[in-house]
Amino acid sequence: MLDSKLVRLGAVAALAVAASFGTQSEAFSAEKTVQIAGFGAKSGVVRSFGINTEAVLTGAIEAVNAAGGVKLADGSMAMMELTFYDDRCNAEEGISVLRRIAGSGAVVAIGPTCSNVAEPLFGILQKNVGDEGDSGLQIPVFTDTAIKGGLAKISQWAFRNVPNENQMYKSLFEWINSEHPDLKTVYGGVEEDFAHSRFTWHKVMKERSPEAGYEVLGESKWLLNDTNFTTQVRQMKKAKADIVAISAHPFTTCGVLKEMTRQRVKPKLLVGLTSSSSMETLQGCADQAEGIIIPTSFAPVTEAAKAAADAAAKYEGSADLHSAAAWEIVMILKQVMEAQGISADGDAVDADRRAIRDGLASLKETDGLLGKIQRTDEGEAVKPYLYVHAQAGQWAILHDPSQ
Amino acid sequence: MDFFFGLLQIIGVHTILGLSAYVVLQTGQVTLAQAGFFSIGAYVSAMLTVLAGWHIVPALLVAATAAGIVAGIVGFPALRIKGLMLVVATIAFGEFIRLFWFNFDYQIEKKGIVVGPQGGEGFKQIRFFPENGWSTLDVAIFIWVIVALIMLALWWTDRSRAGAVLRAVGEDELAAQSVGINLTAVKVGAFAAGGFIAGIGGAIYAHYTTHIEHLNFGVMLATFAIAYPILGGLRNVFGTLVAVIFIQGFLVEGLRFMGDWRNLLFGALIVLAMNVQPRGLIDERSVRLVRGLFTRN
Repeated sequence: MLDSKLVRLGAVAALAVAASFGTQSEAFSAEKTVQIAGFGAKSGVVRSFGINTEAVLTGAIEAVNAAGGVKLADGSMAMMELTFYDDRCNAEEGISVLRRIAGSGAVVAIGPTCSNVAEPLFGILQKNVGDEGDSGLQIPVFTDTAIKGGLAKISQWAFRNVPNENQMYKSLFEWINSEHPDLKTVYGGVEEDFAHSRFTWHKVMKERSPEAGYEVLGESKWLLNDTNFTTQVRQMKKAKADIVAISAHPFTTCGVLKEMTRQRVKPKLLVGLTSSSSMETLQGCADQAEGIIIPTSFAPVTEAAKAAADAAAKYEGSADLHSAAAWEIVMILKQVMEAQGISADGDAVDADRRAIRDGLASLKETDGLLGKIQRTDEGEAVKPYLYVHAQAGQWAILHDPSQ
Repeated sequence: MDFFFGLLQIIGVHTILGLSAYVVLQTGQVTLAQAGFFSIGAYVSAMLTVLAGWHIVPALLVAATAAGIVAGIVGFPALRIKGLMLVVATIAFGEFIRLFWFNFDYQIEKKGIVVGPQGGEGFKQIRFFPENGWSTLDVAIFIWVIVALIMLALWWTDRSRAGAVLRAVGEDELAAQSVGINLTAVKVGAFAAGGFIAGIGGAIYAHYTTHIEHLNFGVMLATFAIAYPILGGLRNVFGTLVAVIFIQGFLVEGLRFMGDWRNLLFGALIVLAMNVQPRGLIDERSVRLVRGLFTRN
């Protein structure tokens, strides 16, 4: 009895493992297609980010293929093919996923969602290109979402198409100062245990706001999984600041905003984190978020941006400042692949990866959904941006700093 | 193959973590402090290789010793409590250590780059393996040599008088004490040994991921640490290994293609496995079964 149970259990496990590995590798067939690997958090607390990225990537690749695909070195055209992996916003899983991608025929990896995954991932890449003594992975990784400052400099194989928050918040606080000269003080609220939100408050908002003439009265801290914000909001209320700047993701931003309503905390102005300029915030607390101002690098205001938003919606996702960057990445990659003349041959994957990396590293300017994107020597982007505010359950454009 | 060697690495690290809890569980103590000792190993070894420029082997030994000493110190107050109280106390200790790293800031400049632990932002650029040209296979072999040594040591302990003493304390403390077993020495010794092994695991983990931060060492990791030996079975060191392969190889990696369903199945399959094999995946009966396979002919 036990024998048969064990044998059955073992057989089911073995079949499932074999099936899963088989399913993944089957996608990378010997056809002459340009294999693109995407990865991000498709499960867990931040799953919506990965789902949106996959939807936008699918739509962007469909658009490229509809226009004929990618022109290869021999003049033929090849279709792009996407395989998307879930890393659950977990560093160990992210590393495992990237190793799997590196062992496949993918010429480039697009992701990850979370900065705490991006940091270790970039760490296992070769630091300096051509360094024979460094056994790190050699595959270009182009990031759409992980936004914590300065990560691409970890490796010359790492590139990002994320907005520059330092520039965005510096400009935002200066603009607020010019529009509302009566406002003098700022109080911060920070989701302290998440790499991006923590970095953005301590290294961006808290440093840029005094430069624009504001006095920072203090800060309240909470954690990503917190559900009670009574104490933090009480501290906020006591500070009586003119502006409350919340550096937190949609889940706790909504929790704090609801608690602020309950405790009747009404600052003259609310400023939010870039990542909260998404539908999740409006779905979670549209009424409480009314009026919150956030700088963002995406809004469907151009034809290309509208196409990206439509494509995301078609694949049951939402285009926001993070996922829309994935659209731009696909278009940049097409341009780089054609300029570098990749072969898309199964036995030339390493050469194609190197060519794409070199092409990305040499870029100084690319087209973006809102306008031209500048590229830095460290693999980062300087993107155009807008200020949006929540208005009647929608994100409405408040100001375009480029005008 | 790189992917499979990478998978072997992470299975090896988690096996070491599970074995660290296995030692303590032998004495009947349920601990959730292993993630704390694991983090000590991770941070200390990373500081030694990155800031002091040490080789991984001495760094690993010093880090494991530091974790073992802290575990021994924790073991003394743990003598006064048992059962659920010990679980709560060790969770509190684990969180204390995690929050210590959350607030720990010590950085120096090396070759023009500021490196070292930076509080909530973590400790990055722990790149001993790639910087020294170790391939994924080299690292996997290194890890599995260590796993084999630890398993061999524990397997030998299980069959020695020391193992019998550990089990005696685990089965009935009063009876063990009445036959002259020094409970203090056994319990503190088990905690220290578990801490030492967890420290080794943490040291390898830090160099595997190249970036560590306090969030890596939370209650979830501590839960996994005791889940491995409990799911695998406490009668045999190989049970922990089988449980890690089941969880990390099959549930986490093998079912990745299932997306969000994976999380749902994760819990359901563990419950199913524990129902099918309530005394662990490797219990006395399965050991007899395997022996039978080799002796029938």
